Amino acid sequence: MAKPVINGDTIKVPSNPEFLSDVDLFLEGTLRGFGVDESAVADIAISVSELVNNAMIHGNKSSLDKVVTVKITRTQEGVMVIVSDEGIGFDPGIVPDPIADENLLHEVGRGLFIVRSLMDKVDVKATNTGTTVAVTKVV
Amino acid sequence: MKLSDREMNSIVILEPRGKIMGGPDASLLHDKLYEMIENDKKRIVIDLAGVEWMNSTGLGILISSYTTLRNHQGELKLANVTDKIRSLLTITKLVTVFEAYDTVDEAVQSFK
Repeated sequence: MAKPVINGDTIKVPSNPEFLSDVDLFLEGTLRGFGVDESAVADIAISVSELVNNAMIHGNKSSLDKVVTVKITRTQEGVMVIVSDEGIGFDPGIVPDPIADENLLHEVGRGLFIVRSLMDKVDVKATNTGTTVAVTKVV
Repeated sequence: MKLSDREMNSIVILEPRGKIMGGPDASLLHDKLYEMIENDKKRIVIDLAGVEWMNSTGLGILISSYTTLRNHQGELKLANVTDKIRSLLTITKLVTVFEAYDTVDEAVQSFK
């Protein structure tokens, strides 16, 4: 797949950071269609950009043959976004604590920490055929 | 993200606009910073007024800019930090790293 493909509530993109803005455009448009307020739109957009970055780089190892899938659902309690990759599984437990004094000036390693801070629920499932992260924001 | 720059009292003001989320954005600010250092302009303010939000890639670019300038005897300061970005700086404790000012003028005046 060379370009993003949108189908209903789902967008699939090749593992190229160039397509992050396509995901963001689709996501923010969908969230505004749900009537989500601008502050929550930004929190969800920041979080999904982190998850898609992780999926492309750590999950799919930037392989253009592998896609990242983002599905957006309006639930009773808020908004759930599911981000899936086709990698061999990503263990979030191995990331060093980004707010430890010795790590503060590290340029990377804050993504999932930020997601956990901005979203109300974060559920990571890593298998040998890919990682799926489901995040929920109560709105 | 788009990026423009200007000078005030020999201080460079970098003005990114839009969202800083990775991809092509990542190199734009970094490349501009190195261009400034090569031109011996090492006192820099990043004006964040036009940045809707940034993610950890954006924070990484700020850290890279901060450490690169410091290693070249320069200084980086932030101005017009929006509530959303201030919140990110707080939860990541980077608020303890960066000098931030309410206006560009105040940031420029803070250079000795």
